[in-house]
Amino acid sequence: MIRILDPTVAPAPAESSLAKRIDGLDGKVVGLLSNSKVNGDVLLSLVRDELAARYRLREVVLMTKSSASRVADDTTLEALAARCDVVVTAIGD
Amino acid sequence: MRSSPAKLTADALSVPGWAEAVETYFDRGWSDGLPVVPATEDSVHACLDAAGLDPGAIVLTEPVRRRAVTAEKIAINAVLAGCRPEYMPVLLAALEAMADPAFTLHGAITSTGGSATLVIVNGPVREALGFNSGTNVFGPGWRANATVGRALRLITLNALGAQPGTLDRSTQGHPGKYTYCIAENEEANPWEPLHVTRGFAREASTVTVFAAEGPHNILSHYGETADAIVVAVADAMAGLGSFSRGESVVVLAPEHVAMLARDGWTKPRIREALYARARRTRADLKRGGKLAGAVIPDDETHWIHRGTGPDDIHIVVAGGGAGGHSAFIPSWSRERNSLAVTREIRPARGGPP
Repeated sequence: MIRILDPTVAPAPAESSLAKRIDGLDGKVVGLLSNSKVNGDVLLSLVRDELAARYRLREVVLMTKSSASRVADDTTLEALAARCDVVVTAIGD
Repeated sequence: MRSSPAKLTADALSVPGWAEAVETYFDRGWSDGLPVVPATEDSVHACLDAAGLDPGAIVLTEPVRRRAVTAEKIAINAVLAGCRPEYMPVLLAALEAMADPAFTLHGAITSTGGSATLVIVNGPVREALGFNSGTNVFGPGWRANATVGRALRLITLNALGAQPGTLDRSTQGHPGKYTYCIAENEEANPWEPLHVTRGFAREASTVTVFAAEGPHNILSHYGETADAIVVAVADAMAGLGSFSRGESVVVLAPEHVAMLARDGWTKPRIREALYARARRTRADLKRGGKLAGAVIPDDETHWIHRGTGPDDIHIVVAGGGAGGHSAFIPSWSRERNSLAVTREIRPARGGPP
C-alpha cells in the first residue's frame, strides 16, 4: 500500500452574509452595474425597462466597472451599497 | 537530512500500488488529463525542504475565489507535475508574480480568452536547472521547462479551482495550457536580456509571467535584412485576430537577431519600429468585428496601434541557431488589465540555486 496526497484546496469560508431580502421593488432604488464591455449597458437598460414596467421604482443608479477583468473597486461597491436597495449586475461582450 | 519535519495536513488516500495511485488521481479529477506522479509524504517533504518552507506557509492567495494555497499544496502539485525538488524556488517566484495585482490572476485563469501562463526564465538558474532556451524552445524534451509549466497549470486546476467548464470558461484555450515555459537564449542576445530591461541585475535569476495566447510563428527567410524581419514581425502583430491594445512578447530567433544586430539595430529601436508599424485603421477594426459600429469616413484615416507604446513590446531571444522562425505572443488582455510581471528567483534557505 502507498499513501498519496490530495492536491486540492477548498475555498475559504465566505466572510459575508446575505443581505436582508426585500418583498418588492416599489419605492426602491435599483442599482445597475455593468462590467464595462460592449452590450453590458444594453442588457442592463433592458432590465431597467422591464423592472420599471412592473414596479414604481424610486430611482435607478447606473454604474460601470473600471475593468471587465477585475472585481468592482471599493469606491464603486460602497457607492452602490450606500444608494441602492438592490443591485443587478450584467456581463456583456 | 531533515530532523522531525513539520507534519503534513493534506488528506491522504491509501491505494494498493503505483498504478492504482495514478488512476486515483485521474478518477478524482486531480490531473490535467495526463498521468501524474503520485505525491507521497517523502516526495512532498523533499520539495518543501528544497523550498525552505514549512508545510503551512501561505504561498499564494487568490482573493476573488478566496483561496489561500499553502507550501504543502504547492509541493504536492509540483510532485504531480514531475518537478525535481530544486525547481521549487522557480515555482515560488512564478506564483509570487502571478499573485501581483497587475497580473489579474482570477481573470487570466477563467476568461473565455483562454490564456495560459507563459513563463520566461532568465539568469544563471537556466543552466543550473537545465532550462532549454535553444532548439525547440516551445516544444518537448526538457524536464525543467515541461514540469515547471505543468506544475503551474496543476496548481491552477487543483489549488485555484480553475477546472474547465466550471471556473475556467475558455472558449478554446490552447496547448500552452498544458505547459508553457521557456528560457531566454541570453548567449545569443547581443543586447540586454529581458530581466535586465525589466530592472534586474544581469546576474540575477528571474521569472517573468505573462497571461498569453499561443505563439504565432513569424517565418522570414529570404529578406536577410533587419528591415524585412521588422516588416514581418509587425505584420504578425497587426493581424486582426489578436489585435488589441494589450502587451506583446516577441521571441526573436537567433538567426533573426544576428541580422538585426549586424544591421545596427538596438532593442529600443526594434521596439519603436514595431510599435510604429503594428497598427490598423479604425475602419479595419470595425470591418473585422473588433470594434462595434458602422464604418464612417473618418475611420479610414484613424490609426490604432497595438499596445500603448514601445514599452508594451517585450523582446526575448530564444530558439535554435538555424531557421528564420520568430514568434509573436499576444497578451490575453485587450488593454492593460493583465501585464507581464517579473520576480527574482531567491535561493531556498540553505541550498542552491
